[in-house]
Amino acid sequence: MSSTQQPPRGRWRFRRTKTVRRITGALALLFALSTVGLVYTALAPTPQTAVAAAPDAEAVAAGEQLYVNSCITCHGANLQGVQDRGPSLVGVGQAAVYFQVATGRMPLAEQSAQAPRKEPFFNEQEIDQLGAYIQANGGGPVVPEGNLQDREQLAKGGELYRLNCASCHNFTGQGGALSQGKYAPALDQATDEEIYAAMLSGPENMPKFGDGQLTPDEKRAIIAFIQNVNKDSIAPGGNSLGGFGPAPEGLIAFLVGMGAIVGFTLWMGSRT
Amino acid sequence: MTSHSDVEIPGDAELAQMSNDELARLGSRLDGVELVEYGERYVPGSPADKRAERKVAFWFLLAGLLGVLAAVAFIWWPAGYEDAYSDRQWLYALYTPVLGVTLGGCILALGIGVVAMAKKLMPHEVAVQARHEGGSAEVDRRTLVAEVMDAGDKAGLIKRRGVLKGSLVLAGGGLTLGAAIPILGGFIKNPWAEGPESQLWVTPWAPAPDGTKVRMVQVDGTPVSPADLEAGAMATVFPAVPGGGKASDAAVMLFRLRPGQAVSIRDGQQGFEYGDYYAYSKICTHVGCPVSLYEQQTGRILCPCHQSQFDVFDGARPVFGPATRPLPQLPLELDDEGYFVAASDFVEAVGPGFWENGKFPAWGSTPKGSS
Repeated sequence: MSSTQQPPRGRWRFRRTKTVRRITGALALLFALSTVGLVYTALAPTPQTAVAAAPDAEAVAAGEQLYVNSCITCHGANLQGVQDRGPSLVGVGQAAVYFQVATGRMPLAEQSAQAPRKEPFFNEQEIDQLGAYIQANGGGPVVPEGNLQDREQLAKGGELYRLNCASCHNFTGQGGALSQGKYAPALDQATDEEIYAAMLSGPENMPKFGDGQLTPDEKRAIIAFIQNVNKDSIAPGGNSLGGFGPAPEGLIAFLVGMGAIVGFTLWMGSRT
Repeated sequence: MTSHSDVEIPGDAELAQMSNDELARLGSRLDGVELVEYGERYVPGSPADKRAERKVAFWFLLAGLLGVLAAVAFIWWPAGYEDAYSDRQWLYALYTPVLGVTLGGCILALGIGVVAMAKKLMPHEVAVQARHEGGSAEVDRRTLVAEVMDAGDKAGLIKRRGVLKGSLVLAGGGLTLGAAIPILGGFIKNPWAEGPESQLWVTPWAPAPDGTKVRMVQVDGTPVSPADLEAGAMATVFPAVPGGGKASDAAVMLFRLRPGQAVSIRDGQQGFEYGDYYAYSKICTHVGCPVSLYEQQTGRILCPCHQSQFDVFDGARPVFGPATRPLPQLPLELDDEGYFVAASDFVEAVGPGFWENGKFPAWGSTPKGSS
C-alpha cells in the first residue's frame, strides 16, 4: 500500500482557478476511490478471494463438462434447479460442491430422507473442476487453502462445539437422529476440509455458520477439537463404547461389573 | 429363650480357675449351642500354620502397597492434559485407569485377605444349636401379648388419658417438623416475594430501569448485527448483562430464515421479528431442556430430551411431542450502532410454565405480511 499516498499537498497552493480546482478535485476523488478500492481488496477476508480470484478457465470448462454429464438432470441446465429433484446451485459456492461431492453424497443415488455418505464418484481433480464451475456461476463461500486446524485453541473449540454443534452431532461427534428419517451424521470420517465446507455451506438441514457468526479462527478451533478430542485421542477406558455417553457406559458397568462381583462371590462360596 | 437348666453353673471360685477356652465353651452351652468341634485350624507353629499366616499376610501387604501406590499416583502422576498429537498422551490417558486399578486393587486385596483369614486362621468349629420347629408355642404368644396390653392398660394409656396421648402425638409431630425444616426449608422460596420483579416473571432480557435495552451477544461477548448471520443460520445468543451467559432463562436462538420463506406470525406478536430474523427462547416449554436441533430446510426445532418439535415457520408452534406451548418469542430491534437488542422482555413465561397452566390463550397465527 506504500505506493498509494495522499495527493501531494503543494499542488493545492499552486493556483486556485475554478477549472484547476475542479480538475484537481476530480483527480483527488478518483485517487481516493481507487485507494479505498485497493485497500478493500487487500483487506477483504481471504475466503472470499482464495479460489474465486483466479478462475481457471480450463478448470471451469472441464467442470461444466462434468456437470453436464452428471448433475444437469436434477440441477438444471442453468444451475437453476429442477422442481422436486434438486435445488438451485446459484450462489452455493465451491464449499457446497466440495462437501457434497467429496463425501460422495452427490451424485445422489436415490431421492430419500437424506443423502448418505458413500464412496466419492469423482476424483479430487474433478471435484476441484466442478467447484470452479459452480463458483464461476454465482459465487458463494469457498473453503480456504492451508491448515484448517488450530490446535492451540482446543478448549475454545470445545466450548464452541458444545454450543453450536453438539446438540445434533452428539458430544463426541457420533451424530444423532432428526425428524422423519433425517439424521445428523457421525463425524468419524469427516476431514478438516469437509467439516469446514459443511459449516460454510450448511448442507441439507444443517444451519449455515457463516464467517460473521463463527470466524475462520473459530472454525479452525472447532475442527481441531473434533479431530483431536473426538477421534485421535486414546479412550481412557480402553473402549469408548460408541461414544454415546452414560447409557451404554452404565449398562456395561452394571452387567460386567455386577456380573463379576456376583460370579466372584459364588466362586468364593463354592470353595468353602 | 432356650432353657439351659441342664447346664451346671460353676461357682465363683471355679470360674476364677477356668481358662478362656473353657469359658468360651461354657458361654456357648449357656446359649444352647453345643460345640461339637472347636479349636485351632492348624497346630500352632507348624509349617501349615506358618504357610497360612504367610498367605493372609501377603494379601494384606498387597492391599497396603496398592493403597500407597494410589496415593503416590494421585500426587505425582503426570495427569496434565496432553492432546492427541503429543507423545505423552498415553500418560494422560492412563491416569484414571491407574487410580482405579491401584485403589480398586487395594480394596479387593484387603477383602481377599479378610476372607482368607477367616478360612485359614480363625478357629475351626462345628456347632449344634437346638431350635424348636415352627412358630412359638401358643402359651408363649398369648402371655407375651397379655404382658404388653396389661402394661398399657395399667398405665391408663388404652382407655383413658386422652390429653396425654394427644400431647404425645404433638411432641412427635413437633420433633419431625423441627428436624425436617432445616432440610426442606432450603427448597422453598416465595416466588412472589419480589413482586413484579420476581425472577419468575423477569429474565435478563428485561430493559434496565433507565430504559436501556439489552444487547444480544454471542458466547464470547461479540454483539450481533444483521450482517453476521447467513440466510439459513441459527446462532445461540445471550443478553449482554453480567451473568447473562449463565442465566437459566436467558439463552435465545437467533434465526435468519431464507428470504422468500413463507412464515406465519403468531397472534399478538406482529413486529417481534426484524426482517428475516426471529428470536426464540432456547428453553423447551416441556421440561426446560435446550432445544437447538435446528433443521434449516424444514424449519423444525427439535428438543433432544423428549423429541418435542417446534415449527419456526409458524411462530415456534409445537407440532410434535409432549410440549404444549410455543417457544416464547423475543421482540427484536436494532440499536443506534446497528446491533440487535431485545425490544422488551419476553411477553410470556420462559420454559416449563407450570404455574400458568390453563392461562394461555388458544393458538392463532396469520401469514407474514397479510395484515
